[in-house]
Amino acid sequence: MARRRGASSDLTKNNEETLLWAGLTTAGVVSLVVIASLALAPIVSIGPEEGNRAPDFVADAYNGGSWYEFRMSDIWDWDWDGNSSESKWILIQFIDTDCPYCWEEGDEMSQYHSQWKDRVTFVTVSVHLNIPNHESSKSEIEAFRDRTSFGTDDNDGDGCNSGRDDCVNRPGTPHQWTYVDDPSNSIFGQWELSGTPFTAILQPDGIVAWNKLKHQGQGGDGEEISSALQRLVGDS
Amino acid sequence: MMSVLSLELGIFILGILGASALLQKSRQEAGSDGTRGTITAGLLFATVGIIASGWTWSIHNSLMKSGSSSMCASEGLVQCGSVIGDPQWNSLFGMPWGVVGIASFGAIFFVLMTLYLDQNAKRTPQFVNYLWYLGIAGLPFVAWLVVVELLLVEGAPHICPYCTVIHLSMIGVFVSSHIMRGRRASSTW
Repeated sequence: MARRRGASSDLTKNNEETLLWAGLTTAGVVSLVVIASLALAPIVSIGPEEGNRAPDFVADAYNGGSWYEFRMSDIWDWDWDGNSSESKWILIQFIDTDCPYCWEEGDEMSQYHSQWKDRVTFVTVSVHLNIPNHESSKSEIEAFRDRTSFGTDDNDGDGCNSGRDDCVNRPGTPHQWTYVDDPSNSIFGQWELSGTPFTAILQPDGIVAWNKLKHQGQGGDGEEISSALQRLVGDS
Repeated sequence: MMSVLSLELGIFILGILGASALLQKSRQEAGSDGTRGTITAGLLFATVGIIASGWTWSIHNSLMKSGSSSMCASEGLVQCGSVIGDPQWNSLFGMPWGVVGIASFGAIFFVLMTLYLDQNAKRTPQFVNYLWYLGIAGLPFVAWLVVVELLLVEGAPHICPYCTVIHLSMIGVFVSSHIMRGRRASSTW
């Protein structure tokens, strides 16, 4: 009778060198593939720091008429040569419709837009901070952007500015730019933020050129958004 | 069609077909020759998986740099741009899927290479099980990524040909491991 093959009793003792050679072969193959992949296309630094590519995202956005799917990189000019004044810079702002500082910043943003709208595309990302009376909704975002009635002027949690104000009273004029809804705070997370309001200026090709936290945070040079726009984009 | 079928894609497809043919041939053979053929087929699937993952990682990096890639079509049903370039779906916890693929197929490659170098070691039954578990673990990811391609990416459906090569490689690894378990169980190892 033929001897059965493969029974456990046929197995010989483990040779530890086998693991070593298997490990070395695997490391060799993986290293070769990694090196070749990086030689073909190096890693691009993505993040909120100046000089990095800004994090891209797809999210629901409101343009004053309707909600639609917005992809950040769709407004980037990938072929921007660094000089062309044809391409528009991007100002990205993060707010919470219930944040008092964002409420106050509404007027400044109106002024910046009025001054630089021909050379800068404005995008506001509305996040939903996990704070009492900061519950938000698409309707509230619409009202904040459009400066239309939503809620009451009583401090009853209904409306903008921690529910203290009717959104129609937001400082500034109606904002004529795209508002993005970030209900899960995922875009907020990609930008490594811990609070609002926050602003950053991107080159037309999506590279972060100015980050508020770098300039206005601890150890920063204190440069304001308007000065940064003036320095980077030039006269309106 | 010509713009979709590039030289690299052709080589990957040949690798998958070669591994499949070897697997089929090895199934007919009993004993150590058949076992070695099955392990070799698995190694070939894993190698294609590693290299194709590296390729998609390069596509990912070039898309992040310039918004387009010369390594794969960016228009039409069969393309990579809308799949690998989609910021919502092109990574797992911030890690590009290509890197996840290299790591996963690397682990599979190591187990298979250990079996290949000494198919009668005492650890063999354990390592065959490890391979099967790795194959099983990969299948939900394959299913999920196919759903993403066909239903979830911007402008879906899209089919990323290199991603499909990787999915087929993972399925090939699973089938190879399943056959190996069968050979162990039926004492035809």
